[in-house]
Amino acid sequence: MTTKAYALPSDLSPATVTNTTSLLRIIALAFISGAAIASRLFAVINFESIIHEFDPWFNYRATRVLVADGFYEFWNWFDPTAWYPLGRVVGGTVYPGLMATSGVIYKILHALNLPVDIRNICVLLAPGFSSLTAWSTYMFTKELKDESAGLLAAAFIGIVPGYISRSVAGSYDNEAIAIFLLMFTFFNWIKALKTGSAFFGTIAALFYFYMVAAWGGYAFITNMIPLHALALLLMGRYSSRLYVAYSSWYAVGTLASMQVPFVGFQPVRTSEHMAALGVFGLLQIIAFAELVRSHVSSKQFQTLLYASVIGLGFLGTLAIIGLTYKGWIAPWTGRFYSLWDTGYAKKYIPIIASVSEHQPTAWPSFFMDLQFLIFLFPAGVVMCFRELRDEHVFVIIYAIVASYFAGVMVRLMLTLTPVVCVAAAIAFSTVLDTYINPVEPEAPADEAASSEVNSVASDVTNPSTPTPVSKKSKKAVKDSSASSTTGPFGDLVASVTSGKSGKKGERSFGVFGLDTRLVVIFHAIGMLIFFVWHCTWVTSNAYSSPSVVLASSNPDGSQHIIDDFREAYYWLRQNTPETAVVMSWWDYGYQIAGMADRPTLVDNNTWNNTHIATVGKAMSSSEEVAYPILRKHDVDYVLVIFGGLIGYSGDDINKFLWMVRIAQGVWPDEIQEPNYFTRKGEYKIDDEASPTMKNSLMYKMSYYRYAELFGGGQALDRVRGQQVPKTGPTLDYLDEAFTSENWIVRIYEVKKEDLLGRDLKSANAFAQGKKRKRTKPASRRKALL
Amino acid sequence: MARWRFNLPLLLLAALQPWLALAEHSFENTAIVRTVELGGALVHVTTTYAIKALEDGSSVYTLAIPRDEHQKTSWLEVKIKGQSAILPLDLVGQDIKTGILYYAAELPKPLKLNATTNLVVETVQTHATYPWPAEAGQKDPQSLKYETELLVLSPYVTAVQRTKIRTPSPQVHSFTKPEGLEAFTLEDPVTKSGATLTYGPYKNIPQSTSEDFVEDKQKRVTVHYECDFPVIEISKLTRAAEISHWGANLNIEDNIVLHNGGPKLKGHFSRLEHQSSAYFGRSPPHVIPGMTLHLPAGIQNVYYYDFIGNVSTSRLRTAPSVPKGSPSTQFSVLELKPRYPVLGGWNYSFTLGWDSPLRDSAGYDSKTGKWVVAIPVMTPIPSAVIDQAEVKIVLPEGATDFDFYPPFPASMNEVASHITYLDTIGRPTITLHYNQLTDKHSGIIYVTYRVPFSAHMKKPLAVATAFIGVFVLALTWRRVDTRIQRQK
Repeated sequence: MTTKAYALPSDLSPATVTNTTSLLRIIALAFISGAAIASRLFAVINFESIIHEFDPWFNYRATRVLVADGFYEFWNWFDPTAWYPLGRVVGGTVYPGLMATSGVIYKILHALNLPVDIRNICVLLAPGFSSLTAWSTYMFTKELKDESAGLLAAAFIGIVPGYISRSVAGSYDNEAIAIFLLMFTFFNWIKALKTGSAFFGTIAALFYFYMVAAWGGYAFITNMIPLHALALLLMGRYSSRLYVAYSSWYAVGTLASMQVPFVGFQPVRTSEHMAALGVFGLLQIIAFAELVRSHVSSKQFQTLLYASVIGLGFLGTLAIIGLTYKGWIAPWTGRFYSLWDTGYAKKYIPIIASVSEHQPTAWPSFFMDLQFLIFLFPAGVVMCFRELRDEHVFVIIYAIVASYFAGVMVRLMLTLTPVVCVAAAIAFSTVLDTYINPVEPEAPADEAASSEVNSVASDVTNPSTPTPVSKKSKKAVKDSSASSTTGPFGDLVASVTSGKSGKKGERSFGVFGLDTRLVVIFHAIGMLIFFVWHCTWVTSNAYSSPSVVLASSNPDGSQHIIDDFREAYYWLRQNTPETAVVMSWWDYGYQIAGMADRPTLVDNNTWNNTHIATVGKAMSSSEEVAYPILRKHDVDYVLVIFGGLIGYSGDDINKFLWMVRIAQGVWPDEIQEPNYFTRKGEYKIDDEASPTMKNSLMYKMSYYRYAELFGGGQALDRVRGQQVPKTGPTLDYLDEAFTSENWIVRIYEVKKEDLLGRDLKSANAFAQGKKRKRTKPASRRKALL
Repeated sequence: MARWRFNLPLLLLAALQPWLALAEHSFENTAIVRTVELGGALVHVTTTYAIKALEDGSSVYTLAIPRDEHQKTSWLEVKIKGQSAILPLDLVGQDIKTGILYYAAELPKPLKLNATTNLVVETVQTHATYPWPAEAGQKDPQSLKYETELLVLSPYVTAVQRTKIRTPSPQVHSFTKPEGLEAFTLEDPVTKSGATLTYGPYKNIPQSTSEDFVEDKQKRVTVHYECDFPVIEISKLTRAAEISHWGANLNIEDNIVLHNGGPKLKGHFSRLEHQSSAYFGRSPPHVIPGMTLHLPAGIQNVYYYDFIGNVSTSRLRTAPSVPKGSPSTQFSVLELKPRYPVLGGWNYSFTLGWDSPLRDSAGYDSKTGKWVVAIPVMTPIPSAVIDQAEVKIVLPEGATDFDFYPPFPASMNEVASHITYLDTIGRPTITLHYNQLTDKHSGIIYVTYRVPFSAHMKKPLAVATAFIGVFVLALTWRRVDTRIQRQK
């Protein structure tokens, strides 16, 4: 008979308890879903129901096509307006999962006579799926520990900024649904592995297929599950459950994934997918070996068998390497290499390095995105070691792999977030379990108890050993309860005990007393409250800006919207011919296509480096050099982003060096990065700027007539904090067509060739009434003499 | 009520001639004064006929309108001077040779011999002016040209007539000085004072609708003037009004395609020049920086967006809703600004909508058991022309016996069914099409219909049934064992 720290009601039937807990669980999950959706609506409330950033604009446009023209038209959609004049086979180069999801939702709602605008479906898709993510994380964590950990994990992932950053309302990107699919596939995989059920394996495969159709990051699953299976094999944990689960997942999943046109035969022809195939082969061999072993008893035969298994595995690996060498299997792509060597991309593929989300993660962003979860995360992983069932191995591998990737690339923080939530929830719920559990161990004697407790505390401060070392403490642990004090909180326990040791003996004091429990629980709840506060703050301040619309505040504190992008895009849409080709840096390609509905040269689907380099060259060369490029590409308008007037730092002058670098990669003789720096090696736009810089098209377009705005005063570029030369650049081959209210977007029209066959520069000089230089008449006089 | 532009069968010349011959003797115009108020998209013409009856009991006065003027005219109204009643007006027919159209205005009471009265004919012409030069730079002034016939034609003898043309500013670049008018005047045929050009007075004009007269004596007059406000054209207005009794709400949504009909922008738009001219308060006249609209009082949830989202550049001052029937001139004022200033030749399309309490514009007639809802044809936009308008009125689901009373006849109307939020059978929809609406056309369409109580209950019943269905399915699913093999 154990003593209780506090009284529990004893007259409840078990059925009431189960029903109440399940009702409470459902209510809790409903609230978590509500919180997950609500915290993502800051963007809608602060701004409006609008598609954010860059890639979502393409997804939105594709969804509109899907909804308007039907799925087959979308499947065969060739978009002649993108990558002018090449065009883009959109149906075959897109992950259609996201668009198909919105399309299905749209069709269902319209079948129910609910005419919801497709834009609102797209905007609210990510918050909607975040509640599903919370639910699937609950299911996943439940398999690892129990329901209470599951609820905590669901609450964490519901509001953690690391996931919100990619799933606020309006951020209509593949990641919006991919994290749900990731967690649900993993849940099904674990379930299949636990039960050895081909049914769950197939469900995992189907969701894997959905994931493949939805996000390029499916390769993470493609490699995580084989890695897990391989680790289990190496740990000697082969079982028929593993065989059934893996085989059903791989066979169905791979065949299904090959149905996505963009993926096609990649699962059997690229190196990224070879691990899955290899593990599949290995499992077959091992299964065969196990089968033979169960029928044959000879020890020599077994040795031979093992040798042949290893030999076959070795041969298989060699075959894969050989096929790669022969070119049957595509080698690793550059994007993949950049995961291992962070400097690789900058050297060889500047276009990847030029994207800010491909930069290595800064340390503060871990805290920013995960707050106290990042501290609980290791504790949770350690907890997994304590039990180390198959699914715990999965979490450990996931934690290690995702931690590495999150360190390499900012955007991969997203894949780390779920496992952090799961692990932190395990750790946190263990703490709560320990301190809420009313069961008190029987104290043998006052003095012994004190020392024993201290030894428990000191033991658990070294938590990496899964089994307690000393027998005494082992007994103590057994005495207390199944889930006793563990984890890094042992320190806390120790300090609390030492402080309270004097008051021992009374029921509600001491390490097992109510006071200790309340102190710990109070602090734990405090941490949760701070977490919620932090998440809300980060979400509302950092992650809810649509970046299409900028906000500033008026002197009276009210919000002032800076809407230059849409102003200019809408102007293009309404007042230029529909076939007018717009050249801009690739960042704005999707937005121009989506909002202005005009053909673009390059866009955010950066598949053709040369084409992008061509634009980079046009932007970074002088007008005379750029003009033939523009004319050959039928460019009618050139669009640049200039933030100098209001201090918008994400403008084209700040991106300019990347244009130069990318152009230099293709034309090293014509474009050289050092030419754009001053003699001292500084990147300047003022009087000291190098002549190449000052003559570049980008510089001219950005600062054309800018100094005049200051009416003779000293013109200041607020982004660079530099003085702009008083005599601004002149343009001969381009004409200013439109400038937005705050000068952020500037659009120039490319002049047609002069009708009289002059070059535009002299034609312009003639039109302005400038006299020709005196050199010619002088020479004629000489000839007369 | 001005009734015109009916698709009346044109009478043949043969049928017309005796009518005119008959008409000729009934009246005499002692004086005709035509005042042309030049503007941008709209030109208001007021013609006052001082008439004298030559026969006892003359009651039908015939107006003659030349063809090209008739094409431009989108509003025609005849009143007795000083009275507010509008005289009934019928299109009689068209003379094929001269192209003149004849309208018959019926006087309220027949005139006795030598009795006189003054008829005021008000017309609004749309697209009657055109920019000249057709292209103008950003800082240039805006000049328009207007052409009209010199003489007001009439099937009656006219003692004296004059035409006054008022320009919006005294800047008149040029105007036609007609010649060969010795028969009617010996003085200067035209005088200019300030912003007013006066043609005439021309005396002793015979019956002027004959072919000979039109060919020999009629002259065309062109005025080239400066216009200091923009030429606002709305190429298409689509208004949808949705009546909801459940929400006690009338939602009105306008899709508007705005076009600047002034001179096309020569060269390109320079923000620098735009900002500096705005700074010095010298905004060029052909730029539409925004419009001030008078929306009804008591509106809520006003939205203004375009194809790519919300437009945040406008200001709204709402007025509280006023009790029905009280003569109120309160409006909610919307200072609507496009995303970018609309320069000459530019377009801008947007959507503007709002909710208003249904009780402000609806009433229940307990005698007939019908609802009456008043829906304005359009939100008046000062000095703008609406080329094409479509007004769609969505009645509540299950509305029956509906009828509609437009303030002026539509060029086309259709009745259809519209299915929206959780509808089962759809809502009756009335669509009216109009062309060339002006600020005179801000009338109200009255719609009457009956909604039985069962129609109101249709939606909650449908939703409840659907939910019960789902619950029953779930209940069954929980209780049915779908396993093939019973596990022990």
